[in-house]
Amino acid sequence: MKLSTSDFPLMRQGILAICASALISAIVLYSSGEYAESTQNDLRSAQAMLDDARNRLTTAHQDRENMAIYAGEYSVLIGQKIIGDDQRLDWIEGLEKIRQKNLVTDFRYSIAPQKIYAPKPPIDSGNFDIHYSEMKLQFDLLHEAQLLNFFDALRTGIKGRYQLEGCTLQRTGAALNEGNNNPAAATYIKAECGGGWITLKNRNAPP
Amino acid sequence: MKLLLFLGIGHLHAQLMASGEIVTQREFIDSPDGRESFAAFLQALKCPAYLLTDLIEEDFRHETVPHLSGRSRSALLQRKFEQFYRDTPFRQAILLQRQKTGRRDDDTLFSALTNPSLIKPWLDILLAQQTPLAGIYSVPQISAPLVKDHPAEHLLLISWEKSAGLRQTYFSKHRLQISRLTPVNADLTFQQAVVSELTRTYQYLKSLSLLPSGQTLDVRLLGHSHDLIELQLELPRSADMRYDFVNLADLARQHHIDYRFTDSDARQIFLHQLAARPPQTHYANATHTHYFTLWQLRHALNLTSGTLLFGILLWGMPNLWQSSNNAAEAASLKTLAQRTLGEAQKITLAFPNTYAPAADMKACVSGMRKLGRYDAAPSGILHQLSSILDRHPRIELGDLAWRMDTAEPVAPNTLADVPAQVIIFKGRMTDFANDYRAALNYLENFQRDLVARGYQVAVLAKPLDVSPGGSIADQRDTHTGALGFALKLSRRPAT
Repeated sequence: MKLSTSDFPLMRQGILAICASALISAIVLYSSGEYAESTQNDLRSAQAMLDDARNRLTTAHQDRENMAIYAGEYSVLIGQKIIGDDQRLDWIEGLEKIRQKNLVTDFRYSIAPQKIYAPKPPIDSGNFDIHYSEMKLQFDLLHEAQLLNFFDALRTGIKGRYQLEGCTLQRTGAALNEGNNNPAAATYIKAECGGGWITLKNRNAPP
Repeated sequence: MKLLLFLGIGHLHAQLMASGEIVTQREFIDSPDGRESFAAFLQALKCPAYLLTDLIEEDFRHETVPHLSGRSRSALLQRKFEQFYRDTPFRQAILLQRQKTGRRDDDTLFSALTNPSLIKPWLDILLAQQTPLAGIYSVPQISAPLVKDHPAEHLLLISWEKSAGLRQTYFSKHRLQISRLTPVNADLTFQQAVVSELTRTYQYLKSLSLLPSGQTLDVRLLGHSHDLIELQLELPRSADMRYDFVNLADLARQHHIDYRFTDSDARQIFLHQLAARPPQTHYANATHTHYFTLWQLRHALNLTSGTLLFGILLWGMPNLWQSSNNAAEAASLKTLAQRTLGEAQKITLAFPNTYAPAADMKACVSGMRKLGRYDAAPSGILHQLSSILDRHPRIELGDLAWRMDTAEPVAPNTLADVPAQVIIFKGRMTDFANDYRAALNYLENFQRDLVARGYQVAVLAKPLDVSPGGSIADQRDTHTGALGFALKLSRRPAT
């Protein structure tokens, strides 16, 4: 079959119809695809939004529980000046006050520069860095109970947290040799204790 | 809708049909006025037209041609047409059968409308009006289905068309062989024409040897019931012929033709037959059916357009439905998210204005609690040892050291994530003189007591090493009344 230009008017309607339907089909295809993708994205975004909201609600619930459990203890830590910077002046003053109480025959201390504490086994301290200022103590004791009294005074009299790592107690016969006739006082104890002052510093807190 | 045209002698009948029913009918005389009216009639119509001819000038010729296909067959048929029917464009070849023996040639019926001047004026009008002409057919050509149910091998079908005349079509083994049209004069009735022409046709068939000698000719007569009754009385009784009278009304019912016949004019039977099942072959050539091909093409384009739109609709509707569902679900989720967020904010706003977030508080407090377990406070150690020593007065404490140590092995039922408390205990045993056995037993008891309090005990130095590997010396000179020893104690909190 041969078509001539004179046939075009007869075919015009059919050609226009197929063109129009192809165009409409393309538009429908494209727009429905776009709409489908858009609604799909919208659905995904809404789902993510809901998940986020649920997480926030769960967090809020947990925060409320945590607040009830830990707020009291946390405020005590603040009151004890454990959270924040080193309070070295407080520590020195506190130690001098203990010295004046004569709880031990004599003691000497040395505080080293602060460093980041890495406890073993490690401890999850969340958003806090554990700072550690090492303090070594040397004692002259008449008996072991003096050491207990000293550390009790340290705990109660100084705001802060002294973490004791260990002690070594050695008996000496010095007093006996000096002619002391009291058998109880005849034995000196020399003690050395190691430990450090612990402070917690929030990483987000301003320096 | 279809336009059916019936071309008889000097007369054209046109009828529009829709869903098997006649919508309108017109008659046109073969005259300038008639042709003009026909042109005017066609102007408003754009549906396909089927032209059925019932003319005397139709010739049939049987030929056996080689079995060919494709271009070779077309070329062969063209040569045959040029040979048989050079002067007319209205010609066709129908394959009757393929021979069973020899070269298995094709038995072919060539036929033509030999007087084109009878058709051309009407055809020119159709082409001028760009009417989509589907084909040009003839009454004998579409008669075959009317005899298909007859068992006879040699059958003569007789019908009457008012505007043409008496049509006699001969079939052998249900295949068209020859057809004759006899005009019926006004002074001759249908019955009289049948009676006179039937005998002639019988003789004609015998003379052409189309009807084998001694063979009975079955004759099927189509007519109105009144005419058929008369015919039954008038037709000669002979052993040469057997009659089958078919009432047009019954035939119409059989072929689902909705038409009421008032006389024996069988035209509507043929027209309806043509409308329902137009034959594949016909007399029109590609030029004649050009507008029909265009119409088919346009129709196909429209159908494709419709199918495309429908398909897109079918495809798009579920997608749209799914998308709408997604949109509705998204809106619902957003509302729920807003509500949940509001609830969370309500809880958060109710928090006291504290120093730190709750999570920080928890981490901080938990960390400090854990750190407390690492502390080697002397009270816990000294009080414990003191109470044990109270029960063992013959042991004196010498040097003492303690530390927290993570390297110590973990005993069963103790916390592994807490450093162990390790104590080095140096002491001496008094008042045992030289009773070493009693001294060792006493130390043994002391160790058991320590173990009972949860300590793991390791002996670093014994007052007297009585093991086979140890060395023993006389201590009489160096004896000071005390036996020294050293123990290593370690302990972790129980789980």
